[in-house]
Amino acid sequence: MKLAKKDLRDEELLQLLDRAKLNDSKAIGIICSHLYSKIYRFIYYRVNAVEDAEDLTSEVCFRVIKSIQSQKGSFYAWIFRIASNLINDHYRRRSVRSNVEPAGDLIEEMIDEGNKQSELLEQKELRQSLKKLTEEQQEVIVLKFIEGYETDEIADMLGKSSGAVRAIQFRALTALRNNFITKEVYTKG
Amino acid sequence: MEQDIELLLDNCISEMRNGKSIDKCLAKYSQYAGQLRPLLQLVQQLETLPKPEPSLEAISAALIEIGRERAIQQGGTAAFSKISNAALNLKKRSSIFNKIRNPKLAWVFSIVFLFLVVLFSAATISANSVPGDILYPLKLATEKVKFLLTFNSEKKAELRLTFSDKRLQEMIAVFQQSGKLDTTLLKEMLDEAKLALEENKTPIDTASIFAAKLSHVNAYQKDVLEKIRPQVNPSSRQIVDEAINMCDMRGRWMREMMNENDEVYPEGSDSMHSPQQMPRSKQKSNRKQWGPGCDWDR
Repeated sequence: MKLAKKDLRDEELLQLLDRAKLNDSKAIGIICSHLYSKIYRFIYYRVNAVEDAEDLTSEVCFRVIKSIQSQKGSFYAWIFRIASNLINDHYRRRSVRSNVEPAGDLIEEMIDEGNKQSELLEQKELRQSLKKLTEEQQEVIVLKFIEGYETDEIADMLGKSSGAVRAIQFRALTALRNNFITKEVYTKG
Repeated sequence: MEQDIELLLDNCISEMRNGKSIDKCLAKYSQYAGQLRPLLQLVQQLETLPKPEPSLEAISAALIEIGRERAIQQGGTAAFSKISNAALNLKKRSSIFNKIRNPKLAWVFSIVFLFLVVLFSAATISANSVPGDILYPLKLATEKVKFLLTFNSEKKAELRLTFSDKRLQEMIAVFQQSGKLDTTLLKEMLDEAKLALEENKTPIDTASIFAAKLSHVNAYQKDVLEKIRPQVNPSSRQIVDEAINMCDMRGRWMREMMNENDEVYPEGSDSMHSPQQMPRSKQKSNRKQWGPGCDWDR
């Protein structure tokens, strides 16, 4: 199973956070460049365009650094909460729910990676179905299967119990599966 | 029951991450297999989704913006410059990495790299090849390229001596393999040694060192030829004799040259003048020739 890169080690992150809270610019630079990819992937699967994902990610970084001195508790839970709120604001501003076709650049990326046409279509449909899930279901699926976190880590990030995350995961996968079956029926019908 | 299946699903996902197949995961929970299998297949599909990476330009732009904002807040430029430096470093990386990330350029880089690796490997392997081997032409080509890329005359002369020695080794290898004497290699061996002297344009003060090396190579070649002479085919023995004779003459000529400390020249040269008194062009031309009987007359 191919998973996204894991985090900085906990102790490294804590040290950087302590330094960043003391206004250490170098530590802030390292945290930002490390967080950027992580937040970007989280947002990417919930918005439609690469440009939107980059703009929102930059905004999250900006807000994280701006209020880092008041940060308490789980750092990742905090940043993913900021990211989630920003995504909601983004859709509220645009008044568009994310059931639009994925941007063309994603398709090009997938072609570049040498995927077969059938896989490509499956991935496209999967991504569209993902956007029909509830907000918290999308969060769990992206954190678990794109970022590669374990259930306990996700529970910590989202401020929920592990059992609650497992329940969300189960419902999300069932909903995705049902979406797929419905699509197949429509396509074949 | 619902809680149970959620836990079982999660356990199966963890086991799949550790390399287990869906069937192996479900073997333990056969009563739920029908419900879990489609979900686990979906998990496999989800994990094949692309893991997008942001562009390095976007990261550096964000870092610059954050640095600028902090500089304004702190009323100074130190914070800005530190964060901006991080951004600039990223930009520098991005310009190189983006080029390599470009699939077409990455393809070209890979082909060139592969070609160089194959060429280098083949050239290394070909070092021990002998005439008739598939890699022997590559060995000769490598030698030619090496020679063309050498600009120092002293090193060129040294290379000629090396080539001469290689021809000798090849001749021995062929002789051991087939029992036949390769007269072409024998001739090339002597020719390379001759050319070594012609290439040699070392200063007068170091000329005797080169002459000593050449003399040593010549003596070694003569020794080898004398050893293999009794074993060669009688029809080729005459050529070996001629070569031994030539080595003999050359050896004598080299000794004379060394003994007279560059002041004695082969027959026909202007021996009345010391090298220092002679025009440079004449010095070179005198050093370019072996003495009489030192070359093939056929």
